[in-house]
Amino acid sequence: MLRFRSIWFARLAIILAFFALWEIAPRVGLMNERLLPPLSDVIAALIGLLGSASFYPHLGTTLFQTLLAFLIAVPAGAILGILIAENRFASEVFKPLVFFIFSIPKSIFLPMFILAFGIGLTQKVAFGVFSTIFIVMMTAFAAIASVKEEHLRVARSYGASTMQVVLRVYLPSMTPVLLEAVRLAMIFNFTGILLAEMYASRRGLGNLIGTWGMSFQLDQLLAAIILISGLSIVFNETIRALELRLEHWRG
Amino acid sequence: MPAATDGTVAVSSLSHTYGAESGEGTLALQDIDFSVAKGRFVSIVGPSGCGKSSLLMMLAGLRHPTSGEILCGGAPVKKPDPERIGVVFQEASLFPWLSARKNVEFPLSLRGVPQKVRTEKALHALELVGLKDFAERLPHELSGGMKQRVSIARGLVQDPQILMMDEPFAALDEQTRFSMGDELLRIWDETHKTILFVTHSLSEALYLSDEVLVMSARPGRIIDRIEVDLPRPRTFEVMSSPRFVELRERIWQQIRH
Repeated sequence: MLRFRSIWFARLAIILAFFALWEIAPRVGLMNERLLPPLSDVIAALIGLLGSASFYPHLGTTLFQTLLAFLIAVPAGAILGILIAENRFASEVFKPLVFFIFSIPKSIFLPMFILAFGIGLTQKVAFGVFSTIFIVMMTAFAAIASVKEEHLRVARSYGASTMQVVLRVYLPSMTPVLLEAVRLAMIFNFTGILLAEMYASRRGLGNLIGTWGMSFQLDQLLAAIILISGLSIVFNETIRALELRLEHWRG
Repeated sequence: MPAATDGTVAVSSLSHTYGAESGEGTLALQDIDFSVAKGRFVSIVGPSGCGKSSLLMMLAGLRHPTSGEILCGGAPVKKPDPERIGVVFQEASLFPWLSARKNVEFPLSLRGVPQKVRTEKALHALELVGLKDFAERLPHELSGGMKQRVSIARGLVQDPQILMMDEPFAALDEQTRFSMGDELLRIWDETHKTILFVTHSLSEALYLSDEVLVMSARPGRIIDRIEVDLPRPRTFEVMSSPRFVELRERIWQQIRH
């Protein structure tokens, strides 16, 4: 208990020290205020952003594109991954290929996506899906591997039909790993969409960040960074908390 | 089907060859013949890899022998039939996402038995193995021995006349193992099931059984059949009795090579 408390104390202390340094360093001249505005200025900019009506279309565009790409990439990747992993021939053929493609940085394909799809919604979503689908497929391979032979044998010995085996054994066995796929997919997706927006777009959070960076509006830029970090951390931790609750499922 | 519920097991000229389809196969089981009367406790022992677990899986309808006939309760076994044959596997076979009760209900839920009946039967089976108070616990909250008792309850929930047990206590420590043996004998005594029990522990086989079938190394054949004439109820002391030691020695001599 004491140990648990001291761990939390140490974490909190580091975060507070970081923010304190951020506030003090530019103020006393340790950092150039143009490159790193003090935390209080950034928070003021964040409040300004959240209070301005023109900011929300940008936020909405990014979140919508991310969600759309997520809704395509996760089921498509999971189903493809499961189909590949369940068939021995397909596993042998496709698994190494998926691993090869996964190892290539996706950002280098961005210019091609612009040539093919322009710089609108389609290109953003397509690039988001492309950035994400391979990690989802690889996680789906792991999900299939996590289904225990003993459990399948038990189900069969009690006369389960194929459909019952899928719903009552495969699905619950795979849930913890598929949750991980959801978590990773969101990280890869968000990254892909923001990158595509920063590179070429008309609106979106990535577009704003790109513009603010080039015009030296660092208080705005950092405000957006804080907002995006907050959104990402909350999503990630929510799924991770669910995963931890299901930890014992892995048996 | 009254014939199907009489709890006898009969195996005649059963042989099995792995990879028989592709021509060059490995003969795994050869000319297995035996029969078990209703209500008997029979163990199958043999060196690892002799095919004793495969044999049990065939008796449960989970695998098909290349040739030979299996009758359980007078009727042939073609596929798993949980109302006739209950199967108990090793410890890891409980579903970790279901409570003890839901695990026991699992075979019933596959057949669409109404929830009320399921719960009633599951609780009855859990009571039989002494775990009624742990019905709502998840497997990871139970000890190894308790998990195995839940597995037994799951095997018993449809009240089959025959129980096939595949090294059910192999993952348990020695002490738990023998107390689980006592527990199993108590359940057997209350339910009068026919039990076929695969184990690699000779002491466990002799301690529990009416009869021990001894198998040879691959290809697995039945090379001895021992009537265990030790008095019941058996206690821990029986294991140091001269007769027990003699029988144990007799089996050991046959499987050591």
